Amino acid sequence: MTDLAVEALGLTKYFETFKAVDDVSLQVPTGSIYGVLGPNGAGKTTSLRMTLGIIDPDEGSSRLLGGHKPQSVRHRIGYLPEERGLYPGMKAREAIAFMGALRGLDWSEGRRRAATFMIELGLERVIDEKIRKMSKGMAQMIQLIGSIVHAPDLIVLDEPFSGLDPVNQERLEMLVRRERDRGATILFSTHVMAHAERLCDRLAIIARSQRRFEGTVDDARALLPMQVRYTPRAEVAADAVAALLPPGAELRGEAWHFAIEDSDVEPLLSRITASHFGVTGLSISRPALHDAFVHIVRQVDAGFDADADAAVESAEEAAA
Amino acid sequence: MNAFLRNMLVVARRDFLAIVATPTFLLFLLAPLFMVGMGLAGGMGASQLADSARGAGRLVVVAHAADIEDFRAADARLRAALPREPAMLVVRLATPATADPVAIAREKGSDTYAVLSGPPASPRIVEIEKDSSSGRYLALLAGEVLRARAAGPLPPVVPQYESLSNGGTSIAVQQSLGFGAVFVIFLLTLLLAGQTVSSLAEEKGNKVIEILAAAVPLESVFLGKLLGFLGVAVLFIAFWMGMAVVGGLVAATQMDPAAIAAAGGANKAMAAFAAAPAVGWPFFIGIGFAYFVMSFLLLGAVFLGVGAQAATVREIQMLSLPITIFQVGMFSLCAASASAPGSSLATFAQIFPFSSPLAMAARAATDDAIGIHLLALGWQAIWVALVIYVSVRLFRAGVLSGRSDWRFWRRKRA
Repeated sequence: MTDLAVEALGLTKYFETFKAVDDVSLQVPTGSIYGVLGPNGAGKTTSLRMTLGIIDPDEGSSRLLGGHKPQSVRHRIGYLPEERGLYPGMKAREAIAFMGALRGLDWSEGRRRAATFMIELGLERVIDEKIRKMSKGMAQMIQLIGSIVHAPDLIVLDEPFSGLDPVNQERLEMLVRRERDRGATILFSTHVMAHAERLCDRLAIIARSQRRFEGTVDDARALLPMQVRYTPRAEVAADAVAALLPPGAELRGEAWHFAIEDSDVEPLLSRITASHFGVTGLSISRPALHDAFVHIVRQVDAGFDADADAAVESAEEAAA
Repeated sequence: MNAFLRNMLVVARRDFLAIVATPTFLLFLLAPLFMVGMGLAGGMGASQLADSARGAGRLVVVAHAADIEDFRAADARLRAALPREPAMLVVRLATPATADPVAIAREKGSDTYAVLSGPPASPRIVEIEKDSSSGRYLALLAGEVLRARAAGPLPPVVPQYESLSNGGTSIAVQQSLGFGAVFVIFLLTLLLAGQTVSSLAEEKGNKVIEILAAAVPLESVFLGKLLGFLGVAVLFIAFWMGMAVVGGLVAATQMDPAAIAAAGGANKAMAAFAAAPAVGWPFFIGIGFAYFVMSFLLLGAVFLGVGAQAATVREIQMLSLPITIFQVGMFSLCAASASAPGSSLATFAQIFPFSSPLAMAARAATDDAIGIHLLALGWQAIWVALVIYVSVRLFRAGVLSGRSDWRFWRRKRA
């Protein structure tokens, strides 16, 4: 037995000559909420599909829920695909019961649980409504309920928040936390950092087909230095203040903006106190996950651009 | 219950209900009424045409008064022995007005196929078409008149008929039964199995396929879909068989038994049932149904697999023609094999998996061996599984991976 709910190692997938996923590994601890973040087209969905065994990787392997092949533990998994899909002619309750039945849940129990979930989520008025009559957001909530109605041990949600209004996004976050509290492991992909920041115990960032980061939200934020905003008394000369602050500090309006390492926070405070420049405003904050994400993705893109430039140069040299 | 079977039944249940619980299913169910209606209309027209043609056609004998009864008696004897009755015989008294057979042949108001005149020993026969069967019949009639006269009065013949119909249906009749089985299975498969070609289009169109693929093995999705469609087909057949039984019972209560007896209808019905296939009626009907199921599953699996590869509705529509041609090809092969039991063609048709159900149904009509059918059903079931397996592999490798330019002969180029 292992305490990993998901152990995908070295997943690689080619679509013709394009390497859609390159040696991506995901290790998701049991009972955690794990986010897979990445820009559009990074390879998140393909990675999740390979992890679940929906498509076969060209290289690598995936083991779920204690080292089992994905195919052998299908009934213990709930999956919300990126491309939402329901039978339009089915009633909501039946659609949920159908998805539960696919995972081995009794039809009548599925209907009962469907009603309970829908009432909890404020969808009671559409319990017996056909899917085709529902809004896109409502249908998405129905599909989400369908993916967890059988109380799975592992829930995989591919871009679950897209298409939902803020109220339903809030409900979905509540649902995710509740499922985690029940004991389920949640693996979800998103490119909206706010959700990941609020929900994730751990996360991976995929960019340009490769995993570029793995760790906690704090680990990701720690990739960037602390952001400081300092406003001295108005009469203090700017040159004097600049000499006090780290190189690169910028004056915007009345406030100085600059970044410092964690270890430099206390010395900075000491210097400010000793300088008698005064403090009319001071904030020291960690950068948001959003900043860390953008930083990582830009680094990757810059590396790609440099590689591309180098390739062009070498080609030109060879031609010369 | 085994998880695979349970998954299959969940998919089958969904598909079955999605088809049956719609108003369009009623149209589908009642579609044969349109076919029967059109057939009846066409049949009535053809029948009227045939009746009018039969009433208008005639053979004419111009005879002396002493020969008239002899001709009529000879005509009655010959007609009773001939499998296909000639046109009505009109016997006219020879007078100066009837002296010209050509004029009689050209009389308006009826088709006169041939006219016999003169003495029976050297009759003059005028016929519309040279060497016609009508002309030969009149010659035969004259000969019969002469033979009866030469033999003088004969003692009445008292034949003792012995019927072998309970255990001795002729090979020709059994072959006809075999052909009938082939035709019925082909027709039902043609009407019902072709629908499977578009059955995955719904899941691909509304993106449910990924949910299914994540939740259950694709093999159980494919088999479940086939089973759902088979359920619809069986419901269709059961409905129409029920209608036929009810219609038969209603008709039986409305008919006058005396009239049926007078027309010999009861005897004809009994004779039809007495013409038994080699394996007997109960087994023949049972195995015929089993072969329908296998034919449906086999061809349905092929169509499902091919249709699953289609990317658009237009592609699916384009596939309809080759699918129909394929089915007609299988029917032609099996129809030919039904008329030549024991031939190498029949053996090939029985072994070739996609014609095997039809050809084996035909074999049951002429061959009383029973064990071979279990073998055949097993062989066909293996092919159903094989087709499903290959279809699923192709589907997973191509369609599910979202590779629009994918070809099954070029899976990986990395």
